[in-house]
Amino acid sequence: MSLPSAEVAADFKDALQDLKINSRPEISNLTIIAKENTEHAQGISRELEKHIQTTRPEWKLPALYVLDSIVKNVGTPYTLFLGRNLYSTFMSAYAIVDASTRKAMEGLLKTWKQPVPESVDPRPVFSADVTRDIESALIKYRTVAIQQQALSQKQALQHAIPPRPPVGAPWRHTPSPSQTAARYTPTNDPRRQQLPLRDQFPPAPTPPPNHFPPPQQQRSFLPDMQPSIDLNKLNIDLDMLINTTKMEWASNPGDSHIQQKLKALIDLQTILKSQQLPPDQIRMIQQQIIQLSPAPAPTPPVSIAPPPYVTSIPPHMPGTSSWEAGGPVMGFHPPPSVRTPQPAIPPPGFDPAWLSSLLTSSTPTPFVSAPPSFPPPALPPPAAPSLAQLLQQYAPPPTPVAPPQPTPIGSADWLLQALNTHKLLPGTPSNGNDVELTTASIAKKSRPHLISKLYEALPNQCVTCGRRFESSPKGKEMKARHMDWHFKVKDPDVAKRGVHRDWYIGERDWIEFREEDEAAPAPVSNGTSAGGPAAAKKEAKDQYIHVPTDAALVHAPCPICQEKFEPQWLVEANDFVWMDAIKVNEKVYHATCWEEYSRGSGLGGGRGTPDSILGKRKAEVSSNGLYKKARTDL
Amino acid sequence: MTALPGLSLPGLSLAPALAPSSTETRTQDLPAGSEYRFEVPFTRTLRLRILSGTAELFGTELAPNSKDAYTLSGTKGAVYTWHGCRLELAGEPESEYVAEETQMTSYANVHFALENAREKAGAQKEIGPRVLVVGPENAGKTSLCKILTAYATKSGRQPVVVNLDPRQGLLSIPGALTATTFASVLDVEEAGGWGSSPISGPSAVPVKMPLVYQYGLGSPEEGKTFRPLVTRMALAVTSRLEEDEQARASGCIIDTAGASSHGKGGVYENITHIISEFSVNVLLVLGSERLYSDLSRKFSNRPSEEPISVIKLDKSGGCVDRDETYMQQLRQSQIRSYFFGQGSNNLSPHTHWASYSSIKILKINDASAGVGSSFLPGDDDDVYGSTTASIYETVAPSPSILNCLLAVTNASMTDRHEAIRDSSIKGYIYVADVDETKEKVRLLAPLSGAIPTTAMVMGTFPEDVSGLVG
Ligand SMILES: [Zn+2]
Ligand SMILES: [Zn+2]
Repeated sequence: MSLPSAEVAADFKDALQDLKINSRPEISNLTIIAKENTEHAQGISRELEKHIQTTRPEWKLPALYVLDSIVKNVGTPYTLFLGRNLYSTFMSAYAIVDASTRKAMEGLLKTWKQPVPESVDPRPVFSADVTRDIESALIKYRTVAIQQQALSQKQALQHAIPPRPPVGAPWRHTPSPSQTAARYTPTNDPRRQQLPLRDQFPPAPTPPPNHFPPPQQQRSFLPDMQPSIDLNKLNIDLDMLINTTKMEWASNPGDSHIQQKLKALIDLQTILKSQQLPPDQIRMIQQQIIQLSPAPAPTPPVSIAPPPYVTSIPPHMPGTSSWEAGGPVMGFHPPPSVRTPQPAIPPPGFDPAWLSSLLTSSTPTPFVSAPPSFPPPALPPPAAPSLAQLLQQYAPPPTPVAPPQPTPIGSADWLLQALNTHKLLPGTPSNGNDVELTTASIAKKSRPHLISKLYEALPNQCVTCGRRFESSPKGKEMKARHMDWHFKVKDPDVAKRGVHRDWYIGERDWIEFREEDEAAPAPVSNGTSAGGPAAAKKEAKDQYIHVPTDAALVHAPCPICQEKFEPQWLVEANDFVWMDAIKVNEKVYHATCWEEYSRGSGLGGGRGTPDSILGKRKAEVSSNGLYKKARTDL
Repeated sequence: MTALPGLSLPGLSLAPALAPSSTETRTQDLPAGSEYRFEVPFTRTLRLRILSGTAELFGTELAPNSKDAYTLSGTKGAVYTWHGCRLELAGEPESEYVAEETQMTSYANVHFALENAREKAGAQKEIGPRVLVVGPENAGKTSLCKILTAYATKSGRQPVVVNLDPRQGLLSIPGALTATTFASVLDVEEAGGWGSSPISGPSAVPVKMPLVYQYGLGSPEEGKTFRPLVTRMALAVTSRLEEDEQARASGCIIDTAGASSHGKGGVYENITHIISEFSVNVLLVLGSERLYSDLSRKFSNRPSEEPISVIKLDKSGGCVDRDETYMQQLRQSQIRSYFFGQGSNNLSPHTHWASYSSIKILKINDASAGVGSSFLPGDDDDVYGSTTASIYETVAPSPSILNCLLAVTNASMTDRHEAIRDSSIKGYIYVADVDETKEKVRLLAPLSGAIPTTAMVMGTFPEDVSGLVG
């Protein structure tokens, strides 16, 4: 009985939607679906192509790995169907992913030119003419990128900010000349017409960093051209800016640009509230806030029309974005790895101007207040550096031996460093947590920078359960293990096999129990515990076998102690198992019983009689014994 | 649609019929710093999902854009948002509204102050803050404990949560007192909102490992076994914190019964006892000016001992009085889910017949557990010393034990009564049927296999549950 193709394809699509990281179990699961439904290969292939084109840039790579896994593990007919559009599938993804993903994609392409490893079939995964077109496009693309890079390097020099502009002169961005986004044109490609994306990167005019189409609701606090020193107003403006940014962040919890900006703003607020600053510095901050605020900047009035495609993009809720195939790709969030502030020299193939235009057009409408007809307030990445720059300006004169800045200018770390080295956060402990265990310190006072420790500091969130992880490599590893764990405990057969509640553990066991974090690396075998025999016993106890399928075995008790085995779910095995069990000569024994027995018979003495073993095992395992031990211990 | 635990099992006469709840969804926008408060009776469900932004339920962050909505039933709760969010709701809560005034800022500040204390303790390899939460009934003590626990685990801590309110049944059933190290996310859908104790199969939310003691009475002010049990639990918790390096700096969070905060003429004997046994150094007083002034007078200045930080907190406007009918339904739901599981975790308990002669049941001696009896000066010796008065009396099996819950202790029938009283328990069995003519009882146990032959203790709380098994 086979399902209608549309239904299979829809199921496959559903499963794809959940694929957000490079999760081996999920990818192999999808591969299995594909393998078991080769009669629906065409529909499945189409869904996969569509998904790769429409999913967010940071989720494209896992989807490409699914494609890779299917063509390598299943092969025809998928190689046929997926090969047809491989050029556009690959290139449209390549165009909008970050540098590291590109690298991974290039690696994939390389393997597609070769036969499947360990396969008897000597032919490459995809036929040479499919991969050749992609290769030549990539070469062309890189050439353009290198030219672009040279250009932006030059611009970076032009933009270079004097290290210490005279105090009192507000630092301004100079408008950057319009740039053309890197474009690639596949050479002699007969399938040009099928390329849904080729023409979707029009020469995007790059607005100067400070100029944004004004959102309506922000007009109310249009700044004066000549800002006067009004601390109150400054505080209000800053507050509003923080709120807008928070809203932005709430709709893009994964976006660390916004997160960094928010952090910088909150730090600035702390400074303002905790310190008496000289008027000129306050004026500078005010100037800065104005520049950061999504309102027309006072200087110079170059008006940039919003790019034409912006108006055609329907406002969408984050997370529910469902782009039609071939729709504009501009609306997506930047991939995670570009979130880290880029050094002045962009990596090959990375065009910062293009990115910033992407950023400008990609921030989804904050649902709370922004009218849909206007692009929401958005700030390009330079926001953080300019604020840092400002902080540096009114810092006390640097010591003669100015330490070199190891962190790239503009990164959140750099900003923090700037704040700390200039002692702009006095009286605050290094972690910024000033709350004391007193009613006065605790009552009501809001500390958004601390709340961010529970959210923004852990930007990498599990969509299944909401648990957050750091964005560090360690955090990513933990999340991957965590996702594997989710996958393991999702067993559809569980309902069928009587699961029951266990008895609670005893006192001594509880005291010795250690919580295990499913995201932590598997503990290295406990080599610290002393005592050979005890350790050996533990090993025996930890032995297990999968619950036998043979009916005779399932009901047979341990031949030594005559006790029946209890099925237990074991996460590592991802199956029901019998713990403390060993199979010897087609019979299943308790591993501890067997160990005692074989040791006894090995010694040739009468030690290993079933009775004494039974007594011993009972004493070891029963929590009553442990309880008594606990009593004497306590 | 997810039903109440065990609803699909035959013979559960107690399970109320679920009103067909509409599948229509609606959206609810919450501005930053506000919360959506709701009451869902046991007969209905509320399903909620975050469409955008962030939101938390008693400190536990809800998964974003999760395909499966959170399903809540028999819950009075609040979804709070620090950043603003849009929720999708389905179902008909009994009441619902959005509140802009909350105590979350203060409660989060408590967490951050505790984090500073934990940091300090960690640097010196000492046990972290021992936090005691007190306050009258329905002041939100348990909710505060949940928030502090959730924030602590989110911050990578592993606090031991100690429940000294027999009416809660944290990770067990009411009547029990428990201690549990929390290292993972709380299960907000589970009855009680903490999570589940270990089962033999996989679980979608990591299980928690509680240490459970039987108290068996409804109030800590009743009877004489509460304080010795506190002493015993403090010993176990302190041992765990001393030995468990991962948990040590996290310290513990202790929840108490409202009754313990009533006091007698400004004297709070149980609170004083808990403070001294657990070496409490942070005392959070919720929603009572008088209690705060009484306790800060007594504990803020103790020249010879470690100082205690006594902190006053306001009660959240979201706290609702939970009437006795609701509390009883909650208890029954907890008992059902102990045996039968809840939601997608359907458990298979085991019933079998046992002869009268094979079971021995103890019951707290009425003479020593007289309701309202309080400690008299000099009484303490009786409790800890070798008292001649027995704590328990033996109950002969008879139809009177029908529908009772029996706590299976780790102590032997022949142990001294003090040892039985102080014993942690293996779990509960339920007397499903009594056949007087054949002198047999039908017992419901969580798992198959022989019922342990250790001492079994019957309490007066929670009340009997009729018809748990058909
Ligand atoms: Zn998760
Ligand atoms: Zn055996």
